[in-house]
Amino acid sequence: MMHIDNLHAKIDNKEILKGLDLKLETGKVHAIMGPNGAGKSTLSKAIVGHYEVEVTEGHVHYKEKDVIEMTPEERALEGIFLSFQNPVEIPGVNNAYFLRTALNAKRTHEGKEEMNAAEFLKLMRKQVEQLGMKPDMISRSLNDGFSGGEKKRNEILQMEILEPDVIILDEIDSGLDIDALKAVSEGINRMKDGNRSFLVITHYSRILDYIHPDYIHVLQDGKIVKTGGPELVKLLEAEGYQAIEKDA
Amino acid sequence: MGPVTLSLVKALELTQEKQILLERLTSLGIPGNKSEQYRHFGIKPLLSRSYDLLQTEQKMPPSGERLTIENGSVTSLPDGVTLSFENSVDADEQHYDALYYLSHLLALQTIVITVEKDSAFELHHRIDKSQTLLPYRIMIKTAANTKVQVYETFETKGSTESLLLYGIDAAVSEDSTLRWIRNATSRTDSATIIGSHRFAMKRQGALELKTFDFGGGSALHLYKIDLEEYAWTDADHLLLASEKARRGNVVHINHNKRYAKSVQEARTILKGAATGIFDGRIKVAHDAKYSSANQNSKAILLDAHAYMYAKPQLEIYTDELEASHGSTTGQLDEDALFYLSSRGIALDDAKKMLVLAFADTLIDTVGDKSIIKAIHSDFEAAYYEKRKDVS
Repeated sequence: MMHIDNLHAKIDNKEILKGLDLKLETGKVHAIMGPNGAGKSTLSKAIVGHYEVEVTEGHVHYKEKDVIEMTPEERALEGIFLSFQNPVEIPGVNNAYFLRTALNAKRTHEGKEEMNAAEFLKLMRKQVEQLGMKPDMISRSLNDGFSGGEKKRNEILQMEILEPDVIILDEIDSGLDIDALKAVSEGINRMKDGNRSFLVITHYSRILDYIHPDYIHVLQDGKIVKTGGPELVKLLEAEGYQAIEKDA
Repeated sequence: MGPVTLSLVKALELTQEKQILLERLTSLGIPGNKSEQYRHFGIKPLLSRSYDLLQTEQKMPPSGERLTIENGSVTSLPDGVTLSFENSVDADEQHYDALYYLSHLLALQTIVITVEKDSAFELHHRIDKSQTLLPYRIMIKTAANTKVQVYETFETKGSTESLLLYGIDAAVSEDSTLRWIRNATSRTDSATIIGSHRFAMKRQGALELKTFDFGGGSALHLYKIDLEEYAWTDADHLLLASEKARRGNVVHINHNKRYAKSVQEARTILKGAATGIFDGRIKVAHDAKYSSANQNSKAILLDAHAYMYAKPQLEIYTDELEASHGSTTGQLDEDALFYLSSRGIALDDAKKMLVLAFADTLIDTVGDKSIIKAIHSDFEAAYYEKRKDVS
């Protein structure tokens, strides 16, 4: 579904990604693990076109296009979604209004009719309830004053409503209690319909117990140094990233 | 008439009361580009122009839905308010603004509005004369224990190169609340508006001042707000200036007695090569112990040539008070813009969403839904620079 080829990227003129290769397969869950500073978040930002990241070399092939050439909104409209590690708070922008605008931008892009306010509210209420979110989240300002858990659930809410094809989850599990982790994981699992690809960036195996990744990739010093199945998590937990260094 | 100078005023036949105001004007001097309050407004070319001076004799108007002032004459009066015209002037002798005195001196009569009971009405200014200097003054008096809301609107089509020099003198009685909402949108080719005002708040009097000032034309409002014991003011100013507009507010709030309270929030959005002005000063006198004074100015510059002049000041002469002030000027939050874009929202729509959110914080405090709707509509029209016949 997405083919990342020899990706080099800098932040503040410092090279973080140093020739990263990765293929995201349709219908599969790919987990990326790696030590702090390895380039995991930089990879997610490079894929969605974050302004901090300067891609200096390489390509991200998706739907026969190179997404590096696209604006962030074009990437989103083509079905690429990033759940942010620290979702930004935007006071004054109503959560429902924002999400309906985003959904209708996507529907228009896909040649579909826009969803009216009543229909959308019905959909949003259903999803909010499913995620165990408080109903007042619908009318509150976007992420404004949300707890860490509420922000992460709101990211999953957006994911479920926008129905993207490539889903990148950057530390979606950080700061979540057990109930929130379960709700978020259930949301992710609901999206696993065999037609989407997931790229889950995490430090911990906890979430992987819920969402069952197909592949584990280890990212070190800007490159994927090891790819394996779920068993790789056990090795990492037992021996740490040093085991991979030795292996590599 | 030629340029606006002291000689012009001195040539007028003035009553003894007005002679005192002339002395104040003479001591302050006709403002120029170096005058503190007008430094960024470009006052000199405005006062150097040649205008037709329109001084109006007032007549009792018929009743109407709103209080309308057309080219300085009151032409309709709503129920619930009493109108009179006074030759003598109950002006503040301590105002800092020279044009406060100039407008008092040039206005033949003061339009006096007396409100005895709770009421809400619209005050509509209509100006359609070009190249005209139009001076008038409005005095509003509220009875004790009343709640009065005034919604002030403007219509300036056809007023090219004119200067409206007007002002409000409000005397708010004990335990009364005056809610003053101004919605002023003006185009590049509209009259320049200079409003020089004074609000005197008696014990436990309250002033909710909410001003919404949009568009490509130039306007400056200068306020002096005096607070007695337990009096308070909540002064909010939302400004959206575009093209080469110079728009702003100069606000002096004086805490004269103890337990006075003021909260001031100015939000400014600047496009094109517009200049925004927020010059706010809260002065807490030695006798105004246990006061609370909070002031904040936030400005967003949407274009590289936009310029914000923000000068928030606290001048404090007592130790026992609670006070804060702050000022920020910058671009739209890049992280917020990226977040919206990353969900497929086009950059222009994302910017509009953030600008509206910034503005809504103040618009939504108006309370009255029909007024909120009107202000929203005017804000959006000004943001997109849509030409409107009514400005």
